[in-house]
Amino acid sequence: MKMYLWHLQSEITKTRAFVFKNWIMTKRNVFTLFEILFWPVVGFLSVGLLAEFASLGEGMRAFILVGIVSMSAVQVCQLDVAYVLLYDIWSKSIKHGFVAPVGLRHLLLGSLTVGIARGITVFVILVGASRWIFGFDFTVPGPGPICLFLSGLFLSAAMVGMLVCILVLLFGHRAEVAAWSLVSLMLLLCGIYYPISILPDWVVAVSQLIPLTYFLEYIRCFYGFDPTFSHVLYKGYAMVAAYLFLETVLMKGAIRHARRTGMLLKLSE
Amino acid sequence: MDLAVEVKGLRKTFVAGILRKRRNEALRDVTLRIPVGSFWGIIGPNGAGKTTLLSILANLLSPDEGEVYVLGKQLPSCSTEILERINLSSGNANFLWSLSVRENLEYYAMLYGISGRRRHLKVEELLEMFGIRDVAKVRFDELSTGTKQKLSLAKALVNDPALLFLDEPTVGLDPDAAHRIREAIRHLHRERGTTIVMTTHNMHEAESLCEHITFMKDGAVVACGRPEDLKRELHLGDTIRISFRGTLTAPFLDTMKGVLHFQLDDSSCRVVVDDHRKRLPQILDYFLAQKAYIYDLHIEESDLEDVFMAFTK
Repeated sequence: MKMYLWHLQSEITKTRAFVFKNWIMTKRNVFTLFEILFWPVVGFLSVGLLAEFASLGEGMRAFILVGIVSMSAVQVCQLDVAYVLLYDIWSKSIKHGFVAPVGLRHLLLGSLTVGIARGITVFVILVGASRWIFGFDFTVPGPGPICLFLSGLFLSAAMVGMLVCILVLLFGHRAEVAAWSLVSLMLLLCGIYYPISILPDWVVAVSQLIPLTYFLEYIRCFYGFDPTFSHVLYKGYAMVAAYLFLETVLMKGAIRHARRTGMLLKLSE
Repeated sequence: MDLAVEVKGLRKTFVAGILRKRRNEALRDVTLRIPVGSFWGIIGPNGAGKTTLLSILANLLSPDEGEVYVLGKQLPSCSTEILERINLSSGNANFLWSLSVRENLEYYAMLYGISGRRRHLKVEELLEMFGIRDVAKVRFDELSTGTKQKLSLAKALVNDPALLFLDEPTVGLDPDAAHRIREAIRHLHRERGTTIVMTTHNMHEAESLCEHITFMKDGAVVACGRPEDLKRELHLGDTIRISFRGTLTAPFLDTMKGVLHFQLDDSSCRVVVDDHRKRLPQILDYFLAQKAYIYDLHIEESDLEDVFMAFTK
């Protein structure tokens, strides 16, 4: 029992290490504050004002505002997961992290914790701004569905962040751009500003492979939009769980690859 | 004899280029045994494979072929158990730029699962040991190069490692800072008995710190042993320079036992002997017999730099 408790404490401490790192880096760097306060608010206001200018009806406006709020929360959260490696790469200290006896679980859970905290901050700011500036009430679905929706968003963010980490371990600095571009790609495919039904069939087929599509469909049900697919929440969770499992395997493989090619050393130089 | 490191038939080739045609054979059939408690130096010219070898031992790089045992356990199958008991400090230290000295130490201590009061005490101990308490709150990017290096060493001790890898620990430091770091390393080995494996370019550093040396060149181990044994093996002698008045008639020094080389000018000569402590009395006797008056005498002992030069030729 004592051994088990010691082991548990060690696991928690190792996970806390990544919370500690991401949290302090967030506090002390202006660009991370911009990620929470500046870019989401600017994006939100631009899109919201465009909707006003286009004199969109209440339903259409709700559709677009749900999209931009969700997108901003996902972007901020996934960045934190990606930063868990990127901070070490930018400071050229990645080898020290890999010399320590930590596992993927510590790295991901720790960084995701800070990501969720930042994502919720952005979500709350934008939900407040939606109500105050555009008179749109995001809380219509109630706390339960919103929690389920946010869980889906943050798991999707973890999925994207992990993909960035995998790409960086495989391709080095060249892949850093994925931290900002993957979400933009999702913006195009998942129906952030428009229903996916307007996309060509082959694009819809790709959209169906992205869990965020289902979570957006789920929350929009509460604003009167019929989902394109059935059982959206189940499908979204099942898909994100499968991807996270697959990415865990891939990331272990990417670390082995980085050890084989010397990428860990190159990223420390 | 317990071994801290045992390496058998290690090979590593880096492949680069789009068509993967550029190949760099970094390690060729390296075999090495490092006993527990020793201070082992790995020296050699640039591109010899020193850092590659150290990186494989620290599980940052995987070999193409060969077996690696660290503290009795095999890599990579027992990597977590091994990583708990080793640590690494490298020259040109780099850590998270926004974290202070104390926060960096806290962070790395947490990575080893050290929690609560134990971590606090450990961090305080390291701040004290390396004399960096007064900069504990200073961010890493505001530190001097010497202090960064001290932090790197302090970080390497957060888990009280049984085996410590030092990759060129004094590179880029001014002589004073380098001296302090060397003293800290020496103290660490002497007081804690930590097994240390160090790569360096600095031959004087290797000679003053390391009990054993592995000399590498072009990815292979060229020689291995105690510094004095390597010198003996290479027949590197001590040089005695004598300035004198008078003339030397008999060519005795050419044939004297232990003289490896003799060169005579008008009023000076250069004698290379195997061991100056053994040969100097005879040489002085010879000058006395020749009635030559010695007014200046210099002795230069061979050092690892000579060994380095001999091996890199």
